[in-house]
Amino acid sequence: MTDAERLSRFMERIERGDKIEATDWMPDEYRVTLVRFMQMHALSEIMGALPEKDWVPKAPTLARKLSLMAKVQDEMGHGQLIMRIAEDLAAPLGKTREDLVTELFTGQAKFHNVFHMPAPTWADVGMIGWLVDGAAVVSQAALLDSSYGPYARVLQRVCAEEGFHIQHGESVCLALAEGMPEQRQMLQDGLNRWWESLLLFFGPAETTSASATVLMKYRFRTKTNEELRQKFFTKYVPRIWSLGLTLPDPDFRWNEEQQLWQYSQPDWSKLKAIVKNQGPLSQYRIGLRQTSYEQTQWVREALLSKPAAIA
Amino acid sequence: MADKPIFTVYEVFVQKDHASPHIWVGSVDAGSPDDALLLAREGFLRRDPAVSIWVVRQEQVHRTDYEDEDFFARESDKQYRMLTGYNKANAEKWRKYKKDLLDFQKDFVKD
Repeated sequence: MTDAERLSRFMERIERGDKIEATDWMPDEYRVTLVRFMQMHALSEIMGALPEKDWVPKAPTLARKLSLMAKVQDEMGHGQLIMRIAEDLAAPLGKTREDLVTELFTGQAKFHNVFHMPAPTWADVGMIGWLVDGAAVVSQAALLDSSYGPYARVLQRVCAEEGFHIQHGESVCLALAEGMPEQRQMLQDGLNRWWESLLLFFGPAETTSASATVLMKYRFRTKTNEELRQKFFTKYVPRIWSLGLTLPDPDFRWNEEQQLWQYSQPDWSKLKAIVKNQGPLSQYRIGLRQTSYEQTQWVREALLSKPAAIA
Repeated sequence: MADKPIFTVYEVFVQKDHASPHIWVGSVDAGSPDDALLLAREGFLRRDPAVSIWVVRQEQVHRTDYEDEDFFARESDKQYRMLTGYNKANAEKWRKYKKDLLDFQKDFVKD
């Protein structure tokens, strides 16, 4: 079979809704783009745990400490699961797990724009759990039917646990919303801080990036950035309002005519800066991760060495 | 670089209780089978209960090729092997004798 015939068979399978497996023939474009995507997802899970793990020792009660610790463990676990399948797909490209992990340090691999932001108060922990994870579940649930089988299967596990994270975040936010005026103010300040990041989260409405086009073409993803952002608004804005919180956007409203949420554009230049790792905490968090990776190098070496006395 | 040790991939199978079979859940990178068992527990059983985990080196798994559809070719009609190949017609006949069709779950397992 020629590559052209293989490609046309592959596209037929994609259009039929078949799942592609790691050992199947696939065009390089599919492999390369998916490795990038899954690598970024895995790294984002790990980087996303960093702002939260800072809050584990500072959590207000033992119960909050336990639930936050569980969430941090889950995020690291998701990073491991996704890195593992990215590794299978990257092997034929001559890339190892170590490459996938360390490309973060050189800037060759990115992590999600939302994890370049500071989390200065306990309300930020709530916001991350409730709204950032809510946004993450909106975009991940849309990938459950992804054309790549191993990713779709891992996502089922990831999404089930994200469901817990959202409840954890809601629990934190609801407690603050029903608390003292200072707590309510803290929650409102948190929302003011995170709102723009939540808009940037989904990326620009009109995206012509090469990878986005490839991901759509091969039905790795099927929903546009704007469709996902609108879904997020529909799920979350009524709940934000019901707690008596105010969106930091006076023009935000439901447009009956267009059947769409209307919102003020965030400052997209901030996203451009983040993509170049020039966001508020980009360098700080990459440094944190690199230090941690270097400091645990001896553990990986120990795990790989055979005990002399037994061998 | 060539002789740099790398982790081994282990496929993970979890048995949730003694009445259930081991089910494949995913894979882990580990330096040894013992580590693989620990990592499998940490990675896949943070909430769900289980009674047993198997880990198998990925390279030791012999598998069919997804592209080899002929391997799984089926005759057009397997009804002669299936319950549904008989139960409807039998039920209709039993009705003449004012009897119900015996049902495996209802009449044998739960009764």
